[in-house]
Amino acid sequence: MAKIELTNVSLTFSVRRTPKITFKEYLTRALFLESRNPRTQVHALSGLNLHAADGDRIGVIGHNGAGKSTLLRLLAGVYPPTTGTRLVEGRVCSLFDIALGFEPDANGWENIKYRAYLLGESPRTLRAKIDDIAAFTELGEFLDMPVRFYSSGMMVRLAFAISTAVEPEVLLIDEVLSAGDMAFQKKAKERMRAMMHTARLMVLVSHDLSSLGGLCNRAVWLHHGHIRMAGKPPEVIAAYERAAGGNEPAPPASAVRAA
Amino acid sequence: MMTHLRAVWAFRHFWLSLVRMDLRSRYRRSVLGIGWSLLQPIAMSGVLCLVFSTILPMTVETVKGYPAPWRAYAAYLLAGMCAWEFLRNSLVAGCTALINNEAYIRQCPLPYGIYPLRTVMGTGIHFLLSLTATTTLVCLLRGSAEPLGLLWAVLPAVPLMFLFCWGLATVAAFATVYFHDTSHLIEVIAQLFFFLTPIMYTRDVLEKKNLGELLGLNPAYPFIELVRKPLVEGVPADGVTYVTAAVLAVLATGLGFGVIGWLQKRVIFHL
Repeated sequence: MAKIELTNVSLTFSVRRTPKITFKEYLTRALFLESRNPRTQVHALSGLNLHAADGDRIGVIGHNGAGKSTLLRLLAGVYPPTTGTRLVEGRVCSLFDIALGFEPDANGWENIKYRAYLLGESPRTLRAKIDDIAAFTELGEFLDMPVRFYSSGMMVRLAFAISTAVEPEVLLIDEVLSAGDMAFQKKAKERMRAMMHTARLMVLVSHDLSSLGGLCNRAVWLHHGHIRMAGKPPEVIAAYERAAGGNEPAPPASAVRAA
Repeated sequence: MMTHLRAVWAFRHFWLSLVRMDLRSRYRRSVLGIGWSLLQPIAMSGVLCLVFSTILPMTVETVKGYPAPWRAYAAYLLAGMCAWEFLRNSLVAGCTALINNEAYIRQCPLPYGIYPLRTVMGTGIHFLLSLTATTTLVCLLRGSAEPLGLLWAVLPAVPLMFLFCWGLATVAAFATVYFHDTSHLIEVIAQLFFFLTPIMYTRDVLEKKNLGELLGLNPAYPFIELVRKPLVEGVPADGVTYVTAAVLAVLATGLGFGVIGWLQKRVIFHL
């Protein structure tokens, strides 16, 4: 049983122009001078309500910086919400920055192990799956090579194969599929469709609106950290496309449905 | 704290395999490989012995039963350095524990104790290897296998030191995220402690200068005594030292978990 419940969730980042505070900064603060490196509050997400259960495949769309990736990270538990409550039940698996989280000096096989253990597998359960994972990546002899020499598409293959093989209950995907080649994208979409039938929960962020429409049964349009619109994928995507065209005004408030 | 420990245990396959990889990759391109773990303390002490037996003659009167004074000093120095290096390296390497594992922290919410644990497991295995080398060398210097008979007195020090290092490495790791200069500061402080702790000299040097009280304030000293006294002098450290070390280990671990509990919801925004 997988479940996502976000109630009135807001997330605020406190950012400085340069990330580290210098000695000079300490001095200016001590002398009550005006800081040249002030804190700015960035409201990445505000007042989000989202309820999802088994069988939901949610596609998240929105302009760059709308808070899509932040939302996924919040769902994964990486970012704790500033206010509101986050409840995610089920085994979560996330596919974010693909190149991150690989040990560059270790080879493909070893990285499969590290990732799988990270996702909660044990050596015993992994032994049954590791050949399937290797087969799905189609990397063959490259698996014996350090990941340092992989292309980004190869890393996507590896990461996607592992993350979907551990049978997550909640799968969070952040536009990673675009990095793979055509053949792999097709294969990945097939696997995601297969996963839908096992009634798992999936949240997918993508700019590829057509595939998102085909994969998801719900869509959420994020705009500056707010949910601008939520509902059936075709309607939301159509509204989003109209707004992105720049000519049409945003949909009236009555068209905005609660998620 | 118990739930945190249970979570750390649940991911044991993950961090254990990373520790294995760290050990392998550390010496990946070196000819001697893991042999450096054994050779490094030997070579280091060789250099120090040469310096202190010819250029700056040093002796340790309290250490008896060795064929020559320089042999006693070499054994004393070796055992002290072996224990000291574990404490120092854990703390220095611990500083980067969270920063180096940022990729994992951003992917998955794992218990934060795992990352310093990965570092301290690495330095700990290094320590065990160098302890083996040290024990062998002390036997050779002494000309007898007597130190082997007292290994039972050394072994309790290992888990205590491990806990102590884990706790302090955790604190250092979190401090470095908020204040990047921590690692440089720690290196300076470690150097200061190296000279304040009787490693190159005996404790009566401090006592003669009326600085004996300093030893009571030095958290590294009990651990070094636990390792060095049985190995080199052939008598187990006294009970007070064991108790002090145990208290320090528990305090450091508690401090580490306290820091995790305090900052685990916030540290991600500062990485």
